[in-house]
Amino acid sequence: MIKLMKKEFYEFVKTKKLIAIIAIFIFFAISSPIMAKIMPEFIKTISIGITIIVPPPTWKDAFLQFFKNLNQMIFLILVLIFIGSIAEEKNRRTASLVVTRGVDRRVWVLSKFTFQLLLTISLSLISFFICYYYSVILFPDTEFFPSFSSLLLFLVYITFVISLTILSSSAGNNIIQAGGIFILVFIVLNILNIFPSLKPYNPVNLSSMETQWIVFGVDWNSAVKTVISSLILSIASLVCGMLYFNYQELE
Amino acid sequence: MTVIKTEGLSKYFGKKKALEDLNLEVPEGIIFGYLGPNGAGKTTTIRLLLNLARPTSGTAYVLGEDIRNGRSYLKKVGFLPDVPNFYNFFTAREFLSFIADISGIDNPEKKIGKILELIGLKNEKGRIGGYSRGMRQRLGLAQALLPDPELLILDEPTSSLDPQGRKEILDLICSFKGKKTVFFSTHILSDVERICDRIGILKEGRLLIEDNIEDIKKRYTRHRILIEVDDTEKLIEKVNGLSQIKSIERRNNNGLVLEVSDILPVQIDIPKIIVEENLILKKWEILEPSLEDIFLEVTNK
Repeated sequence: MIKLMKKEFYEFVKTKKLIAIIAIFIFFAISSPIMAKIMPEFIKTISIGITIIVPPPTWKDAFLQFFKNLNQMIFLILVLIFIGSIAEEKNRRTASLVVTRGVDRRVWVLSKFTFQLLLTISLSLISFFICYYYSVILFPDTEFFPSFSSLLLFLVYITFVISLTILSSSAGNNIIQAGGIFILVFIVLNILNIFPSLKPYNPVNLSSMETQWIVFGVDWNSAVKTVISSLILSIASLVCGMLYFNYQELE
Repeated sequence: MTVIKTEGLSKYFGKKKALEDLNLEVPEGIIFGYLGPNGAGKTTTIRLLLNLARPTSGTAYVLGEDIRNGRSYLKKVGFLPDVPNFYNFFTAREFLSFIADISGIDNPEKKIGKILELIGLKNEKGRIGGYSRGMRQRLGLAQALLPDPELLILDEPTSSLDPQGRKEILDLICSFKGKKTVFFSTHILSDVERICDRIGILKEGRLLIEDNIEDIKKRYTRHRILIEVDDTEKLIEKVNGLSQIKSIERRNNNGLVLEVSDILPVQIDIPKIIVEENLILKKWEILEPSLEDIFLEVTNK
């Protein structure tokens, strides 16, 4: 498995994907507190002739901006990069080349998931600490516990997202099919989120919790069901992806 | 030992028949040529043998292991696909290092260098993305050979090579005779005739014939003699009376191809006629059927 992960890492380095992801994570980590700090002043300068009352920025604005970027831009970039990890290898027939060497198909899928998860967790942590560092400089009263707790929620959420990309990529025969499956599942999850009884068990609920914890404070009790169900669904997606690929016919 | 044995192996894609009731045996150490027109089921057979697809019915045993029960035999198999695709970001050496890694080969550097030299890619430093189809085919063969497999499954291994490259690769494959078993699918009949010990001809998913090349040739031999004389009309007039003559076909200006029921008496009688009629004999040749003749005869039945 380590050898397969080594190849994934090598691919990310050689194809410059790694440097692109690192740059994006660092950019949002630095820009979020800076944007939070300068945005009120910026709004004042452009609103000539109109009186706009903007409350003074706080560390909360910095992390609200940071988590917004994580849940939108970085989420999108990661999905775009990871969604083809299995589907494109099937399409290009490189998957056949590896599995006909006797590599266990389930281990091959697991190696992709593990690499993607480790990469995302590492970069999220680095990005968080950079953001925290700049926030402390710009807002000396920055609180660590709520912002780090929100990061933990994000890590659970992104674990689910990565496992879903693995399942979609395993089920689709090319990047378009895989993307379609992923979007479909995501739409269904968002629709399910309107049912109050299902909401506590829905992983997509985690992204809104992150911002709530920044604004209103950490409430682990309210998140237990969502975290546990998200982790269960992550494992289920991963196992389904592994089993599906193991059973699948390849070109 | 039988390296590949299929028992009633069939594969359907929906209602479409790709392979039907294939019963095939490939003994150890031989080069087996698997022939058939496009869409005959050659690649489907290979996919089934490599566990890339599941049979609809029947099974196959590869190196003694039932393909339905596991995939561990794949560690002892080298495979070259018909259209080799690799990770384009690797160089040839890096790619072979990766293959060595996942195949569990320790300290592979020396072996990689040797194989790259053997297939003529030793001086290629660029990424695989920039390789021609012929170079990819050579690299495909290198990765198939790297783990020193007992069985080599090659799908059209020479289709993209120039004549020089084809000769080199065929010589290399030929050198495995008696050491490795080679299952070799191709369209190029001259390649098969040159290196294979045994062949199977497939058409529309059914195996039409499977035997040693020599036995197949004997089975399909039609006694034919090519004769060139200065006056073909006179010869036709005289040989028409011989009871062994089945058909006479004109070829070029002075040539005749005679198909006969029994070649021995004809080899005595016709030279006698030529002498008696004062004809000048320019050419006398007993025609052997080529694999191409047999292939066309078998597949056009």
